[in-house]
Amino acid sequence: MRHDIRVEGHGYRLRPIADNDAALVVELRSNPELNRYLHAGAIDIPQQIAWFHGYYERPGDFYFVIERRTDGLPEGVISIYDAENGQAEWGRWILRPESLAAVESAWLIYRTCFERLELDRICCRTVAANEKVVSFHDSCGIEARRMLPRHFELQGHWFDAVEHRVDRTAWVTLAPRLEKLARALARRSRHD
Amino acid sequence: MTESMDRNAIEVKLLTVLSTLLKQPFASVAGLSRQNTPAWDSLKHVEIMFALEDELGLEFSDQELAGLDDAEKIIAAIEARHAS
Repeated sequence: MRHDIRVEGHGYRLRPIADNDAALVVELRSNPELNRYLHAGAIDIPQQIAWFHGYYERPGDFYFVIERRTDGLPEGVISIYDAENGQAEWGRWILRPESLAAVESAWLIYRTCFERLELDRICCRTVAANEKVVSFHDSCGIEARRMLPRHFELQGHWFDAVEHRVDRTAWVTLAPRLEKLARALARRSRHD
Repeated sequence: MTESMDRNAIEVKLLTVLSTLLKQPFASVAGLSRQNTPAWDSLKHVEIMFALEDELGLEFSDQELAGLDDAEKIIAAIEARHAS
């Protein structure tokens, strides 16, 4: 949906996605290094803009660009969607391969969920075979997880998912570690 | 760098950091990479890099932080610091 939520972090910020970010999304989603576990998406800028126009009208869907605070360079995208009755899911998370924004963008999306949207809980569902991302969520310290058999259909094949769930109580525990790492990275980053 | 280290000493430091942070034993750096170590995720990578910096008294550049994705690259970067 169209929104005006901007969330500032230490080294990165989240800002609303817009039509002129279509090339970024197509570039990220077309990268074979990044798209192995993604649903098929737009293959060109006009298709991506058409998808955006559907997204702008969809309630409870908040799509963001992850950009560096120092120079505004976009390093990825991330979303909260299906926000309803105090809960939501986050995903559509893609970062440039060389980006160091993983930790801070996760911290920022949880802050958006709990501080800006004032949701009570959020989950993230990852293809179980995407071991690095499953491990990332585990490394965040999220203890509430479960397997969802045959949850995703990608290119005609069914994949199990791992669901990680975070509520307000868990967030209080997780947030300091994520922020500490984000702050440490930002303090040293010169982006030159 | 304050003092020189030979490759063996660097390997020992690296294996100790990796084993501690990834919570699994690593006996050798041969072939060890993010690609083939699922637990070496983006968050752990940052922690590993910071721990090595603390242990060895050096600082990697941002580009190195992102790009040092296997044991051999990390060792080479540390050796380069010691040689300079």
